[in-house]
This record gives sequence, C-alpha cells and structure tokens, in this order.
Amino acid sequence: MDRRNFLKATAGVAALTGTTGVSAPALSQGAAARTLRFVPQANLANFDPIWGTQYVVRNAAALVWDTLYGFDDKLEPKRQMVESEEVSSDGKVWTFKLREGLMWHDGTKVTAADCVASLARWAVRDGMGQMIRTIQEELVAVDDRTFRWRLKTPYPKMLLALGKNNTPMAFMMPERLAKTDPFQQINEYIGSGPMRFVRNEWVPGAKAVFSKFEQYVPRNEPPSWLAGGKRINVDRIEWIIMPDPATASAALMNGEIDWWETPLTDLIPSLRRNRNIRVDIADPLGNIGAFRFNHLHAPFNDVRARRAVAMVLNQEDYMRAVVGDDKALWQTLPSFFTPGTPLYTEAGGDVLKGPRNVEAARALLRESGYNGQPITLLVGQDQAPLKAMGEVTNALLRSIGMNVDFVATDWGTVGQRRASKSLPGQGGWHIFHTWHAGADCINPASYLALRAHGDGAWFGWPKDDAVEAARDKWFVAPDVAAEKAAVAEMNTAAMRHLTYAPTGFYKTYQAWRSNVTGVVGAPIPFFWGVSKS
Amino acid sequence: MSASILDPTGITAANVAVAPTLPDIMPPVKARKGFFGFMRQNPAIAVGGSLVTLMVLVAIFAPLLFTTDPTALAPALRTREPSAMYWFGSDMLGRDIYSRVLYGARVSLLVGFSVAVFASIIGLTIGMISGFVRWADSIIMRVMDGMMSIPPILLAIALMALTRGSVQNVILAITVAEIPRVSRLVRGVVLSLREQPYVDAAVAAGTRTPVIIWRHILPNTLAPITVQATYICASAMIVESILSFIGAGTPPTIPSWGNIMAEGRALWQVKPYIVFFPAIFLSITVLAVNLLGDGLRDALDPRMAKRI
Amino acid sequence: MFAYIVRRVLATIPVMAFVALFVFSLLYVAPGDPAAVIAGDQATPDDVERIRASLGLDRPFLIRFGEWVWRILQGDLGVSIFTNLPVSTMIQQRIEPTMSLMIITLILAVSVAIPMGVVAAWKQGTVIDRTVMGFAVLGFSVPVFVVGYVLAYVFALELDWVPVQGYTPIKQGLWPWFRNLILPSIALGTVYIALIARITRATMLEVLQQDYIRTARAKGAGQRNILFLHALKNAAVPIVTVIGIGIALLIGGAVVTESVFAIPGLGRLTVDAILRRDYPVIQGVVLLFSFVYVLVNLFIDLLYTILDPRIRY
Repeated sequence: MDRRNFLKATAGVAALTGTTGVSAPALSQGAAARTLRFVPQANLANFDPIWGTQYVVRNAAALVWDTLYGFDDKLEPKRQMVESEEVSSDGKVWTFKLREGLMWHDGTKVTAADCVASLARWAVRDGMGQMIRTIQEELVAVDDRTFRWRLKTPYPKMLLALGKNNTPMAFMMPERLAKTDPFQQINEYIGSGPMRFVRNEWVPGAKAVFSKFEQYVPRNEPPSWLAGGKRINVDRIEWIIMPDPATASAALMNGEIDWWETPLTDLIPSLRRNRNIRVDIADPLGNIGAFRFNHLHAPFNDVRARRAVAMVLNQEDYMRAVVGDDKALWQTLPSFFTPGTPLYTEAGGDVLKGPRNVEAARALLRESGYNGQPITLLVGQDQAPLKAMGEVTNALLRSIGMNVDFVATDWGTVGQRRASKSLPGQGGWHIFHTWHAGADCINPASYLALRAHGDGAWFGWPKDDAVEAARDKWFVAPDVAAEKAAVAEMNTAAMRHLTYAPTGFYKTYQAWRSNVTGVVGAPIPFFWGVSKS
Repeated sequence: MSASILDPTGITAANVAVAPTLPDIMPPVKARKGFFGFMRQNPAIAVGGSLVTLMVLVAIFAPLLFTTDPTALAPALRTREPSAMYWFGSDMLGRDIYSRVLYGARVSLLVGFSVAVFASIIGLTIGMISGFVRWADSIIMRVMDGMMSIPPILLAIALMALTRGSVQNVILAITVAEIPRVSRLVRGVVLSLREQPYVDAAVAAGTRTPVIIWRHILPNTLAPITVQATYICASAMIVESILSFIGAGTPPTIPSWGNIMAEGRALWQVKPYIVFFPAIFLSITVLAVNLLGDGLRDALDPRMAKRI
Repeated sequence: MFAYIVRRVLATIPVMAFVALFVFSLLYVAPGDPAAVIAGDQATPDDVERIRASLGLDRPFLIRFGEWVWRILQGDLGVSIFTNLPVSTMIQQRIEPTMSLMIITLILAVSVAIPMGVVAAWKQGTVIDRTVMGFAVLGFSVPVFVVGYVLAYVFALELDWVPVQGYTPIKQGLWPWFRNLILPSIALGTVYIALIARITRATMLEVLQQDYIRTARAKGAGQRNILFLHALKNAAVPIVTVIGIGIALLIGGAVVTESVFAIPGLGRLTVDAILRRDYPVIQGVVLLFSFVYVLVNLFIDLLYTILDPRIRY
C-alpha cells in the first residue's frame, strides 16, 4: 500500500489500542503494585559474589543467596541459616546446625555438604577466610544439617567472618556451583535466598529481574539488616540501570521508578520538594574517601613528602567536591575508622586537624628531597566522586609546588595501572583515589586498605611494622577495651606512617516514592520489609 | 521562411517565432561588486564568517576579557547561580563558568580547526594516491570503506579508550574517523577530472604526473575540500562534545565546551546554566561554521550541493 | 545485474576482514584491564592476575585472532568477559530497542525532511526558504544530548505527555512502544532531518532547472504534480545516498540518545563495553554494525536501479 494509506492504518490501530486498552502493558494495575523498580548504584554486569567483589554484585546477591549468619543493625553477627552453633571449650572446634526447611530455588533441600563446599570456595577469596584456612584442620559435613570446622588454634572472630557484610560475603550455594574454581564465574544463579533471579529476563547493563521465592521460610525475629526474618512483600523486583542521573531523577519524579539508591546530592532539594518522594540517608555507616600513595617510589616513599601532603590536605574541600554543600552529609575525619561506631578513634590524627599550613608543607617537601618530578595522578573520569577528588588533589599538589601529570582515564584503566609496581614514568603511578564503604572500616577485620605488610598489601604497598603489630593485637584482643586500645594504636601508627590519607567521611542519600514503605538506611539496600501500595 | 540575398538563412526578426515568456523558477540575480557587495550577495559567508571570527577573537583574547583562572577550584562556592561575581555561575567545584567557557573556546576551536586541517591534508593525499595509482586504489578504498562502516563516534571512542584523555588524542581520534570521507571525495574528483579532455591533452603532451596534479587536478579539488573542511570542523566540535559526554574526551583540567557540558549534565534540571552557556556558544559556533561552509559552497560552485 | 550483486557481495568480504582485523588489533593494544575491573576494588594484585589467566587474556595475539575469526565464521561471536553470556544473546536482547529507535527516526526524518527540502527549493530565496533551512542548520549545530534533555524536560516532565525514559517492547503494545520512542526519535532525528532537507533542497533546485520541468510546466502540469512526480523522482538518487550514509550517523547518535533516555539498546551496550574493555562484546557489536552498514549500502545501490533507470550495472 502506498504511504498515505499506511499512515492512516497505523493511526487507526494506535487510536484503537489506545482507547480500548487492548495493548495495555502486560501488568495490570494490581500487578504493577506488586513490582518494585529500583535503580542501583552501578551496572550489574556479572553476578558471582565470590568471584567479583564489587558492591553492586554483593547487593544483588543478598537477594538470591542466604548466609549462615548476618550482621544486624548493631553490627553483631546473628544467626540466619544456622539454628544453633557450638564451640568446643578450647575454641578449636565449631559445630553448626542448619535450620529446617531451607530450600534451593530449584526445589532441592539445603544440606550441610552445600555449606561446606561454599565455605571452602569463599575462604580462598576472603581475607578472614584465608586466615581460617591457614589454621584449618578439617571442614566436614557431619550429617544433612550439621557440619564441623576443626581448627588448630582458636579463632574467636568466626561468627563475624561468617556474618559480615563486607565483600566477599559468605553466601551459601549448592555444592555443584560451589565447586567452581574461585577464580572463575559460576554459571547458574541458584540460591536459597528470598528472591529468585529471573535469568531469561536479565539484560546485563540494562535490567535485572528478581521474583519472589514462595518456599522461602523467614525467621521469626523482625528483620534487622542481614539478620532476622527476610519477608518480601512484593512479587517482583526490577533493577533498572540508568546511566544518566538527570534521567533517573526525572523518572523518579514521574513515578516510572520507585527507589533510587544513589541520587546526586545536588538533585536532592528538587526531589525533596516533590510531595511524592521521600529522601533519607542511604547508609549511616557512610564512606571514607581515600587518597592513596605509592610507597615504592620517590617522592612518596619518604614519609616527609606524605606528611607534607597531609599538612595541606583540606578535607572540607574534598567533601564539598564529592557531596556538595549539605553539611549533614559529611564531616572531617582525622581517623581511618568509621565515626559513630564503637571502636572509632581519632588517636594520632592531629596532622589532619586544624588550619592548613602551606609554608610548613613546602618546607617539609623540600626537606624530603622532592626534585620537581611530575607526579602521576590517576583519575577515573567515569566515577563522579573520584573525578571530583582527583581535581581537588591536582590543585592541592600544585599549591605546594609539585608538578602534576594528570592522567584522565576510566576506572578500568586505573584498576590496571595501579597494579603496576614500575616506576611512575614507565607505566607506574604516584597517586590514585578511591573510597571505602564505612562498613568495611569499622575494625581491622576486613580492612584490606589499612594493611601495611609491604609487597602483599593493597595497591600502594605500604610497609610499617607498627601498624601490623597493632592489627595482630586486635585479632587476639580478649575484650572490647583491649580492642579499642588496639585500634587506637593502629590508628596512631597509620597516621604517623600515612599508609593512605583519608579525605573525609561522607554519607549519601537515597530517595524513594512515598507509596513505598519499609526502606531502611543500611550498607546494603535491603528489600525485605519493603512494601508498595 | 523566405530566403533572400541579404539573408541567406531566411531568419529575420520578423519571422522568428517568439518563445512564450515562461515564469522563472530562479529569481533574477543582481550582480554586486566589492567586498561589501560580495558580503551582501553571500549573506551566509558574511554571517558565518563574522561569527567565527568573533569566536576566534574571544578565544585568543580570553585572558583580557575579565576572566579568572578557569581551573581555580573553590569548593566552598560551588553551584552558585549567575550573579555579579560569577557571570555565568559556578560549577560543581566552584570554578567560574564564564572563564571556563571563554577558555573552552580555545580548545573547541582548536579541535575543530585541527581536525579539519589534518583530515583534509591526509585525506587529500590518500585520495590523490588512490585516484592516480590504480593498483593502490582498490586496497585503499577497501580500507577506507572498512573504516567508514564503523560508526565514527564508536571509532573515536575506541581510539580514545586506547590512550588517556588529552586534546591531542581527541584531535587524533576524530581525524582518523573523518579521513575516509575526505579521501573518498578527493578520489571522486580526481577520477572524474582524469577523464577531462585537458588532462588527456596534458598527458599526451608528455607532462609529468606531478605537474598534472599540481596544475590541473589540485586546483579543482580545492573548492570541494574547503567546503568539506568547514563541515568537518563543525562536526568535529560536536563529536568532541559527545566524546566528553560519554566520558572519553578532553581531561577536566582543560576546559572545553564539551566537557563543561558533560560535567554539568547531571545537574541540568536544577542548575541548567552549567550546560546552557557552553551549549549556546557551541551551537552558535557550529552554526556559524556550517553557514560559512554553505556560503562557500554556493559561491564556489552550487553544483557541489548535490554531493556534500 | 545478478553478476553485479554477486560481485558486490564478494567485495564486502575484504572490507569486513579489514574491519575485523582493525577492531581486534585496536583492542589488543589497548590499556585498561577487564580483569582489574572485574576483580573489584577489594582484590589484591594476585587475584587480578589469576582472573586474567582464567579469562585467557594472556595468550599471544595471532592465536587469539585466529581463534576468534574461526568462531565468527561458525556464527559464534564469543562470550562476554563480564557477564559470561554469549555475545549473540546480549546483542539479541538489545537489538529490538535500537532497531525500533532507528526505524522510527528514519521514518520521521524522511517524512519531515523531504517535504521541508521540497518546499524550500520551491520557494527558493524567500523567507520560507531561509527559515526552513535555518531550522535545518540548527539541527546540525545543537548537540543531540542538549536537544534530548530539553525535549525530556518540556514534554515529559513538565507536560507529562510521554514518559521520561525507558523502552516498552512492542509485544506489550504498539502505542506504549511508540510513546516511549517519540522523544528519542525526535532528538536523534534532528541531525538527520537537517542533512536530508539540505540535500533534498539542493538536488531539487538543480532538477527544477532542467528542461523537462519546463516542458511539464508548459504542458500545463500542476505545481504539486511537477514537484513530486517529476522533480522528486529525479532527485531521488542523491537523497537516497545521503539516507544511506546517514545510517552511520544514526548509530553514533543512538549511543547518546540511549544514554539520555535510558533505552537498553546496542549503542549503550557498545559504549559500556568499550569503557570496560569487554573485548568480545566490542568486537561482536562493531562487526555487526559494519555488516549492517555494508548491507544497507548494497541495498541502496540496488535501489538506484529502480529509481533511475539510466543506472544499470
């Protein structure tokens, strides 16, 4: 048919479908109320929480897989999949008994053998798991619901290791999946958590879909972060990846999405003004910005150069650059640990407090022998907080007379280059930025970035025996007072040595529609207890 | 018709049928003289040219136009609305947008002009070789076809991903993406010119190829190349802004219109001025360059309009 | 004619081969390490090395290239480094939105631009001509994302006529599918409209000067008849050429549009893959785009024979 008739026909069809509702979306009005549309902090490109340790993978995994123990909102590990545990009097034998009624999404029962295999895989990749492996005698299933971990020496922090929310979390998987090499991805996404992963609707980079697992048996206690009963009140959860914050903001205002994990701080006032939107702090444990030195090469192999930087480092500048002008969101941080937590200390943090002293810093820098070489600063442009921090650092370094080689690239390239121990002029680096979730910085347990054991340490390879000694003390601390002392000692040592420089403590907001209730502020977006009317 | 001795053909004014006057489709064109006459006759060149000149002057004299250091951070004064202190407002790190936009003109114009010049020169060379050296022609054209079949933006992003963000790399990446089109254009001109009788005559007279190229071919390629170059300049400025939008463009320490917009894009609903001002400058400049190209094309040879 | 088609198809092989080699080499020399991104921030350098080895990223160039080509020829585009899904599956998931966007944009652009160009040519030199062409040049000059943002703000957020973002698959209804694509198509189409309108006008101007137009007019044919039946048909070849070349532009612009309107299409997939160094996906998608472009141009070359009987191969 010719063009004119074709257009008429299409218009007719459109009119017809528009008015009679023949072409209405597959979900009726009622069903739509049972679907929660969530915009996560980043793209969910892969989905193995042991293999890939990004936060967004862990957050999604928390829906599909369950853990033996889980942190509650006081950061204490509480039983989740485990019904009871027993520790021998010498502390070397742990026996765990699983709850009844735990099922995998494919209908089979959860057995102790599955847990044994999952723990074995997890322990290869996790810091605390590795510690346990070195003192492990055996890890076996005793019967279908019981398994035992026999150790050579006591490990008092066992429950913390199993229940912590730092990546990689100790998720339980079916034995056949858990037998996958820890350095390769799993192929199936079967778990025993409250939601199933709808594999055939997954469009990596765009959308991930979860549907309610009806056979999940929640615990009786009220939900509290990773502990308690994980009751799901919706049928379906859709994770929609939105690369453009302005688009996500408009979508939230228009009701096209229900919950946005990381709205930009500058957009919050306009979201707040909207009567249909609620805004609150996303994670009370916040984040710590990190200014990471390379301790292997000049000039930052000399503590004086690092001190010079710390003397002019203005955390207020960094924080405003990262989260804006809302003072409720940020505070200066003369510490490596998370404010508001039991072990928080500012011991030794004086270099970051008080007015900044440019002249003294310049003098100290000269004293350290800085010869004017360009400082290779790696800045990932695709992550807004890192980009902002990079620019503040650029100005900071120039203010004390350093030459800066600003390498503007993407996070993937930063990830590769920071692994290089070569000279900065030959593919290495001097400085890069990152941030650590406050939940990871509560205590030395999973605080990889604060370790100072040289070659095996995190990128930057700091080496300081005092820091390591203090860390060891914390692991064997018999009570809270001893733990506090150990942490204070570690903070002082790390501040003196400047393993890295914290650029401040900041929180972010999350925003959701007013017809969504039960949203809590936590390190992981928790979907249990959330309802939509 | 009657023949006569005085007029053997028999055609006289009296007995020639007068053609009916047909309505003109083209309106009559008045010839004008002098520089201003030229400008009035070619308003596109006039408007386009003067705007481009204005932008170039702004870029060159940016330090003298009440600007401050475009990279000076002041996080305590971030995202302020336009006011007496910050004429165009301040961005997310407290930098003065007015200064950044004026200095950004340097980068954007530099990218545009450099890409236009380099792509034209390289494309001209390749097109010439392709047009004259037969055995090289098919290889070169396959390669050019191959490169043209990769969407230019993706090619530029991929090339940028190979290296770090810098103005030179942006220029290189966009130039590579634009070369195939220029070479195709030049090749087309060369091929059609080679068939012309005067070129045949020159060859028959024994003129050496380089002289033929210099005297006959090259002058005829200049017009289409110049016009094409202006379009490439305009397109390069837009591509630079898109590269910055994606996050694969010039580094943030060097302001360009593209990366000012890219940084402000997340806030454009609440602080639209961050995107608005560079967008206006970019659009006006690109518009002016396009107008200039149109005007040049119409002035030099309106028939080019079919091909470009 | 048939021989021509065969020759053209065969000629595409070296082109595609070049593209394949080019794309593969490009990424081979690229810095940036997918293993580092996958390992995440909490990984140690040893972890990153182990992941690299497990992904096979440490083998030599020719071996990887050879393997890759062999698999492509069997229809296997490889497996994404990041998602572990086959590249062909990932492409399949994303092809509908991008195709829908491009087709609607194409239809929109052609239906708006050609009349624009015709009218401008007809009223050449008048205010109408200058205004129409002014809009067209404006379309070239404003970046796509600015247009997209303004449209989204005015029509979606303020007036609430259409949704702000997203894509509704066509099987969920024709009208919802179309509603989501209106603004993105307009945003993406502005450049295309500008391009087509200009060429249409220029070609029409030339055609309108031809003798056969004068004859038609002398025969008493109506203005509309002249413009569409005689002039436009003869102007078709360059116009169709530009439409073909413009497809490459559309793909490039789709990248930005899909980002602004959160459409889960191939453009976004490619950009994400490039920035993450997901080599198999980048290679697969770029090859696909090139193939489509080559096919479209072949189709257009064949279309010439219909449009202009003088062109015969």
